[in-house]
Amino acid sequence: MDLNTILTAILLLPLGSAVLIALFLRRRGGLAAALSVTVGFLIMALSLDVLLTWNGQDFHVSTEWLRFGTYAFSMGFYFNHQTALMLLVVSFVASWIQLFSVGYMDDDDAKGRFFGGLSIFMFSILGIVLADNLVMLFVFWELVGFSSYMLIAHYYKTDFANMASKKAFIVNRVGDFGFLLGIVWCWNHYGTVNLIELHGKLLGHPELLGTHRAIAIGLLLMCGFIGKSAQFPLQVWLTDAMAGPTPVSALIHAATMVAAGIYFLARVFFLLSPFTLHWIMWSGALMTAFAGLCALGQTDIKKTLAYSTLSHLGYMACAVGLGYPELAMFHLAMHACFKATLFLGSGSVIHACHHEQDIYKMGGLLKKMPLTGITFLLASLANCAIPFFSGGYSKDSIITAAFLKGHTDGSVYFGVYLLVLFGALCTALYTGRLFSVVFLGKARSEDAEHAHESSPFMTIPLVVLGLLSLGGGWAVYGWTWGGHFTGLLPSTCVVVFAQAFKDLQEAAEKSGAATILEVVNLVIALAGLAAAYLFYGRAPAGDPLAAKAPGVYHVLERHGWFDDVYDWYVKQVQQRICDLIGAIDLLLFKFTFGWGSGGLAGLTGSVLRRFQTGSIHAYVYWFLAGVILFWALAIG
Amino acid sequence: MQPGLQAYLTVAGFLFAIGFAGVLLRKNTLVIFMCLELMLTASTLALVAISRFYNSMDGALFVFFIITVAAAEVAVGLAIIVALYRRRHTIQVDELNYLKH
Amino acid sequence: MPAFFFYFFSALTILAALLVVLNRDAVNSAMCMIVALGGVAALFVLLQAYFLAVLQIVVYAGAVMVLFLFIIMLLDPKTRRIPVSEMNMVVGLVALVMLAIGAFWLARQYPTVANLPPVEALPTDAAPLGYATAAKTFGYGLFTRYLLPFEVAGFLLLSAMVGVIVLSKRTPADAHDDPAKPPRK
Repeated sequence: MDLNTILTAILLLPLGSAVLIALFLRRRGGLAAALSVTVGFLIMALSLDVLLTWNGQDFHVSTEWLRFGTYAFSMGFYFNHQTALMLLVVSFVASWIQLFSVGYMDDDDAKGRFFGGLSIFMFSILGIVLADNLVMLFVFWELVGFSSYMLIAHYYKTDFANMASKKAFIVNRVGDFGFLLGIVWCWNHYGTVNLIELHGKLLGHPELLGTHRAIAIGLLLMCGFIGKSAQFPLQVWLTDAMAGPTPVSALIHAATMVAAGIYFLARVFFLLSPFTLHWIMWSGALMTAFAGLCALGQTDIKKTLAYSTLSHLGYMACAVGLGYPELAMFHLAMHACFKATLFLGSGSVIHACHHEQDIYKMGGLLKKMPLTGITFLLASLANCAIPFFSGGYSKDSIITAAFLKGHTDGSVYFGVYLLVLFGALCTALYTGRLFSVVFLGKARSEDAEHAHESSPFMTIPLVVLGLLSLGGGWAVYGWTWGGHFTGLLPSTCVVVFAQAFKDLQEAAEKSGAATILEVVNLVIALAGLAAAYLFYGRAPAGDPLAAKAPGVYHVLERHGWFDDVYDWYVKQVQQRICDLIGAIDLLLFKFTFGWGSGGLAGLTGSVLRRFQTGSIHAYVYWFLAGVILFWALAIG
Repeated sequence: MQPGLQAYLTVAGFLFAIGFAGVLLRKNTLVIFMCLELMLTASTLALVAISRFYNSMDGALFVFFIITVAAAEVAVGLAIIVALYRRRHTIQVDELNYLKH
Repeated sequence: MPAFFFYFFSALTILAALLVVLNRDAVNSAMCMIVALGGVAALFVLLQAYFLAVLQIVVYAGAVMVLFLFIIMLLDPKTRRIPVSEMNMVVGLVALVMLAIGAFWLARQYPTVANLPPVEALPTDAAPLGYATAAKTFGYGLFTRYLLPFEVAGFLLLSAMVGVIVLSKRTPADAHDDPAKPPRK
């Protein structure tokens, strides 16, 4: 089968699964689950087939879908090394998470709806991955937003889930508004929205990116990224999105959807002018630090991991801003593995404690759930960027890149370096806190007492993803084996970012600071973990920080009062404007059309009504009058 | 003086006017109907007169059809009046005003 | 002579027509109508349209007016006598006068053909649809130029017949009513 056919199959299989589930299997949860998981693994197999046999050449194909005068909306595939890596991440992680969901959702009544939602999500995200033009990307962008909305509101009987899903969708929409403006302006300015054509136009003409228009377009396109990847100022939806089931949080809000923003930035990197890149870099670095701090103020295990995701997305954004989109993709892939493991582990723990999510009601679970505990540990160490773990390679390279920028471009950029370093410290702190409180120490509640290891449906994906979070990064050493694999990943995916990694290492060596940087990173990580264990690990119940520094804790808990500011704005400002517009609308339409034309019609009707007297003689008189009139007209 | 075409047409016109006045004036449905027939007859007279004076058979043949149609119309109209009388028990047109607004 | 007959029969017809309109009793109106139709038939004879004159008497005065009389008789005598209101009378007379003047004026528009052209008994080959007095001309015209209207008229009569049968069916609600009795209200 040629590449086009396989890619079409990969894209359309989950759509078929979603349609089948929606039409026939809504009440047959078991069958729906089986179908969705089968399709998921089928997609994984097809993707691996593609990745192992791809010859490395850029592949693109497109067909015209709709034509509006001079503009043709086409759908097509653009397959390059970024696509390859993202395809691997999406298909691999998604399949295992689907398998996990079978175990996690075993006591849920609406499995059919859930797996249908997962299937439609798969279709949407694969569309983003494979899209070759911005409009098609935008269509699937919105579809992903819809799938997220549907899945967050899975427990729709609770108010909180409904509000969270609406919030997620609306905040995304705000970002997408800018995105759409950017796409339209891009078409207006460059004449095309096709990525290959855009790349061709800008190749070798870097001065084209200096114009004000190009800068504006870049900033507007960035709005889409800000919305989808929950960066400042639209980060408020991600923590509330944890109202959805844990597999959803793992798949959508950690591994794939929020990473789609980063993938998008990497795809359109050539459209982003230096000004835009600066903005992305600084906001990413700030986000890293801020989110890391907020994670220390949460007692819900999933919210902590959500802030962790925000922090890592900040890292990826920072990498793009520094000019290394390949490193951002690398970190995206590694992050997907270990964050998915962390979320799935938390899901396993939540399921075992009967849907308890407060970490201060868990404890001592390492003994009771060894597999979960060990995979969680592996993923946590990757999260903290301990060397040899997957996260270590990618995160450290980003920190190194930040340092090098400060070194070469002026000392103001050391601020970026300090921020990401501080973010790394916070990461170590909250990861240590999480692990110590949940898995070490003594059980803090009945449910934690009686917890036991989860079913194989849940533990097997944990093991697989845990192993990847351990060894995913070994590909940078260039061990090729089996002709098609480098490290634990297919060679075709690894090639480009391994090269970028090597280049970065060389640059670091040249500047002479390579070893110092590594040592600093390691020290910070270990110090953070140790401090966390000492501070949090032996606490009986309740958060020690809350007890000892309630002011600080309160700030962290309110996560910078963003939600409150937006709330105030919506209630006081936006609502007032809407009421005003509503009043004008009422005035305009009710008075003009209601009383105006409507009244006129009514008046005419009530006048003409009088003619129906029911008397034949009256009608005959009118008839006579008509005849005389006609006669007069005929004569004169 | 020989009656010319104008004379016959005048008579037909007068008959038509009388018939029309009858439709306007009378309240008995049946008499109104008869006045309608009177109007039809006036038109047949006019047609025959013109046909005769212009030496063409077309007018007379038309009268043939008018008589046929009038007969059919009377039959159906009277059946309707009888059915109406059965329901409303009146043939006075100012009482038959159920279509009044 | 023909002039005298013309004036006599015209006056008769117009007088009878006026009586139709002004009579209080519907039966009297019907009788006057028959007289008026007879007068019109006479006028047809004066125009040498003999066939039509006979047709008028037999069909119109004979069948149609008899049917009218049947229906009039079917109804209660009290319902037959409905006078005209005075207001209506004034308006109606005004309308009548106006219409009469209009008709007179209209008639004047036609050229005065004082001399009746001679008329054949039978149609000639030169003018097959020229005016002739024999019934054969009617046959000729009906079956050549006016064949379609002739067939359609037949169809019309059929539908009228069917319609009348349907319309005069008694509904169960009416079955107990005698039209001669006073209304049930």
